[in-house]
This record gives sequence, structure tokens and C-alpha cells, in this order.
Amino acid sequence: MQLQDKYRIAILSAYALALHGFEAMLPSPMPWLRFGISNIITLTALVLFGFRTAMMITLIRVMLGSIFSGTFLGPAFILSLGGGLAGTIAMGTVFSISRNIFGPVGLSLIGALFHNAAQLFFAYLLFIQRIEAVLLISPVILLIGTLTGFANGLVADILIKNLLKKEQDSIQNVVQA
Amino acid sequence: MKEAIRNTTTADRILFLLLIIASVAGLVYTREAFSLGSDVVVEVNGRPVYTLSLDTNREIVIDGSHGRTVLEIKNSKVRMKEADCNNQQCAKQGWISRGTIVCLPNRIVVIVGSGITKDIDAITG
Amino acid sequence: MTMTTFRKISLIILILLTAVFSCSPGKDSVYKKTMPLMDTIVSITVVAESSDTAEKAIEITFAQIGRFGDLINFYSDNSELAEINRNAGVHSVKVSPQTLDVIGKAVSAAEKSGGAFDPTIGPIVKLWDFLNKKKPAESEIVKALPLVNYKDILIDRADSTVFLKRKGMMIDLGGIAKGYAVDLAVESLKKEGILSGLVSIAGDIRTFGMKPDKRPWIIGIKNPRQTGEKDELVAKIRLSEKAISTSGDYERYFISEDKRYHHLLDPKTGMPASGCRSVSIVTDRAVDTDAFSTAIFILGAVKGMKVVKEMGMDAMIIDSSGTIHMTDAIKEKITLERSH
Repeated sequence: MQLQDKYRIAILSAYALALHGFEAMLPSPMPWLRFGISNIITLTALVLFGFRTAMMITLIRVMLGSIFSGTFLGPAFILSLGGGLAGTIAMGTVFSISRNIFGPVGLSLIGALFHNAAQLFFAYLLFIQRIEAVLLISPVILLIGTLTGFANGLVADILIKNLLKKEQDSIQNVVQA
Repeated sequence: MKEAIRNTTTADRILFLLLIIASVAGLVYTREAFSLGSDVVVEVNGRPVYTLSLDTNREIVIDGSHGRTVLEIKNSKVRMKEADCNNQQCAKQGWISRGTIVCLPNRIVVIVGSGITKDIDAITG
Repeated sequence: MTMTTFRKISLIILILLTAVFSCSPGKDSVYKKTMPLMDTIVSITVVAESSDTAEKAIEITFAQIGRFGDLINFYSDNSELAEINRNAGVHSVKVSPQTLDVIGKAVSAAEKSGGAFDPTIGPIVKLWDFLNKKKPAESEIVKALPLVNYKDILIDRADSTVFLKRKGMMIDLGGIAKGYAVDLAVESLKKEGILSGLVSIAGDIRTFGMKPDKRPWIIGIKNPRQTGEKDELVAKIRLSEKAISTSGDYERYFISEDKRYHHLLDPKTGMPASGCRSVSIVTDRAVDTDAFSTAIFILGAVKGMKVVKEMGMDAMIIDSSGTIHMTDAIKEKITLERSH
């Protein structure tokens, strides 16, 4: 992998980590269940730089995020990892099947859906033994996830366009120069 | 931002609406069919005095050792509506759907458990 | 889909969401208040639109119960009942309509139960001390037994007087007063405009009307042999416009030399009746459920069930071996808990 790619991954991971940390401070209906706004970064990376980059960012974010917050290998870590992986893989899969059907918003929604589903699944498996409790909060989680997913997608869309424009500008500059 | 919304594809919008509908439907369904109900146990002086269901809206007046306390259960939440004590700690707690409310001067403890619904209105025997 | 279609659908969904989240169940709420009266816990539950309506009706009813309790208090020197008992074998005593009424109903219950329920059991009751776990001597019981005979109560309705024929006779309305008070309370609540509620005096319960969710009231029947400290139930029964009372050998008792001595005394022997662990009676009025839960307990499972059916009542009897007997109608309304 070229230096530029590594550089990109590092910076994007840093942003993703920051968003992750910020999100950790927000309230949530169930402990350790997060909405995934750092997904904006993952999505942007997926569209612009490919699946591998997006995956690396996800893994780095989850690992470092849990180490920094002292929850490494704890329940939060498992939920975060499971959710992150599920979301990224789902988005990557859809994106590779067709680039045109879903825009960033659609991809973000898919990512959020799988992210939340995986989190609920692991939460049930590992801590909340009562299926009724999980089923009870699923609609709320789904709703909030959908709304944040939509918003995330919009932000990602803007981000992507801006970054593309910058690339184009810099290419033009290079060409002109 | 508006431009980004306009840029969403058809598939995007359909997916979004589908998810919203699904989650709202889920909400409606769980509210009705699943009302798990929990127990609200009221203990006075350490002894359980009432076991009520969280599902039935009601108000209960408890005569504690200090005076009169009113407990209110509404929309599956509990709060201490009135308490005849100085610091009003318990009333300040507001509505809870889990956990406990304690009124120390009156020695009243309200515990919202997640037990099986015991929708008993009274006990004979 | 076009932008406008999208916007339209989004709007509809927004409205739906608002509806879902602001949805609150009916206006009527259930209000419950508890107060110690008649030497026990009285609990009144009503369905009303506001706590003010509920509060007012409940307070008026509590006052009614209190006044009645004062009239027939066995342990107080100032009650009309004490006056009657003091003047046993001496002269008749003029009493209020409620006192006359409840004594009349007690005598009627005694007749219908063949004396199994007998309000003149007062002298025997005084011999037993459940608080200090003392049982009376055989000779004391023998001496008191002749005084137990409901037929020796003379009621004059025209003059509103009650006369106990023999000196030493005592009326104890403990087995019927609470039921009577429950009925009084229900009438009082109805008079105050309450359409639906539940009154419970030490486990003598009567329900009327329906709960806000249109379901019947659910009454838990205590397990006569519960092991823990918390209330354990042997069954739950759904009631609508009915009363229920339960008499059990676990309410007031002590165990001495491996034998259980409880407060449900047989008027014929002066000793605790041994046929049952608990008897629950269901019928229209609490005065009847109260008196008959005692009577049927004394009669035992077989004879008791016969009388229940003759009286057109319903019952659940748990006999001394723990077997549960139920009338047919009750089987549909009851759900049994795990063990008894």
C-alpha cells in the first residue's frame, strides 16, 4: 500500500475515532449501544477509496476506541466490533454489487441497519438473556438508527462531493501547472 | 444540505421510508402486544405492602410514618407524586420505569422490577 | 419516486409518529387509598376521572366504615355491641339500624348454616389468647359452651332492640362485620357517583363495575401454606360484580406441641375446626361471603360444599390435606398458581 493510502487511512481513522469518542458521550437507550456516527467516515472512505480502506478504518477505530476508553475486550468492545464489522461489510457488499442503485444515503441506511442489528444480536447473546427486552427496544433502535443513518448519509454525501472537488481542483492545478 | 437530499436516489428514498414504516409499525406493535408489565413493589418499613402491575394507571396513597405519600403509576412509569417530607428527594426523581424511588423519612421504598406481571387488584385470605 | 412523493410520504409518517408517541390510554384512572379502620387495613380502589372525585368519595366512605366499626367493636366498652353484651340476661338494648341489621343477618347466617356460624361465640373467643399463645382449659370451654346459641338472641325489629337471654352471653360479630362494612362501603361509593371499584377490608373483598381496560378485577387468593415472607398466592380469580371472602387457619394461630390452634372455632366444641386449611366463598354480597367463609370452614370440605351449593354460592375449599375443591362456576374464573 502506498504511503499516500496509509496517510489517508491514518487521518480518516483519526476523524472516525474522534466521532466515536464524541458519540460515546451521548445518551443511549441501552448501555453500550451506539448509533454509529463515525460511519460517516467509513462510508466516505468506502466510496472514495475502496472496501479495504474502509475496513481498516473500522478496525482501527474499534480497537483504538476501546483501548482509549478502557473497555478493550469488554462488552462495549464486542458490540462495537460486531456492529462496525457488520455495517462495513454490508455497505461494502452492496456497493460492490452496484454503485448506482444506492447513493451515500442508501448505503448509510444499510450500514446503520446492519450495525444496529448486529449490536442487538450480540447484546442478546451475551448479556440480555430475555428476548422480550431486546424485541421491545428494537423498534426504537431501528427508528433512531434510520434517522441517524439518513443524516449520516447526507453528511457523507457532502463530504464525498467536497473531497472529490478538492481532488479535481488539485488535479486541475497539477494539469495546469 | 438540501442539494444532498435532492441527490438521493430513488432506492435511497424507498429504503428510508420502508425502514421508518417498519420501525413505527414495530413501535405500535410492541406497545400493544408486548406490554411486559413489571412489578412495582412498595415497601413500607422494609415490608412489602403492595405488589402492583406497571400496566394499570393508578394512584396510591400510602400512609408512611411521616405522613401521606402519593404514588402514581401512569403509562408504565412510576413517580412519587406527593410526599410529606422535607427534602422532597423522592418527588424530585420524577418518572422512572426501572430502578427505585426511596422516601427515607417515610421509610417507603418503591422498586420497579422486571418480574412477571402480577396484575392483582387485591388479595384475599 | 419523485421528490414531492417523497415529501408527502414523509409528512404522513411524521404525523403517524406524533400520534404514536402522544397516544395515552383512556381518561379514567384507578385510585387506591388505604387506611387502618375496624382494627385492620381497609383499602378502597375506585375508577374515576380525577383524583378529586376519587378522594372525596373514598373519604366519605372511610368515615362511614369508621362509624359502623365503632358501633360493633367487640373490644371496646363504648360500642353498642358492648352495651348489648353487658346487659345479657338483664334487659334489651336499643340499637342503631345498622347494628340491628348486621345482627339480624348474623342470625340468618347461623340458621342457614345449621349453627356452624354462630355470632354468640363471644364467650369462647374470650378464652383463647392467640397473641400470647394460650389455649384455655377443657373445663373453661365446657362452662362457656352452653352460652353459645344463636337462638338465644332476641331481636325486636319494631322497637329496634336486641336482647341476649342468658347472663354471660356475648355476641362477637368478627366473622361478619367486615363483610357488612364492605357492602356499606360499596353502597356509599355508588352514592357518590363511583361506577367502578373494589373495597377490601382485611381480605373481605367486593368489586363492582369494570376496570378502565374493561377487564374484570383480579383477586389473588393467598396460599395457606406459604413458605416465604412475601405474599404467595395459590390462585387468581377474576371477579365482576361479586364479593369474595376467605377464612384460613393461618390468619391467627399458634403452634403448640406440634398442633396448630387457629382462630376459627367450632361453636359446638369451642375448639378450632380441623377440616380445612382455607375456604374462599364467592357470591353477590360481602356480608354473606364473610359469614359463610367462616361457616363452611367449620363444616369441613364435604358438608361445606353441600351447603355452598344449597345456598347457590361458589367456593374454593382447600381441605386439611391440601386438596382443592371447587364449584363448577368458579373453575372458569380461576387460574391456579404452581403449588399449594
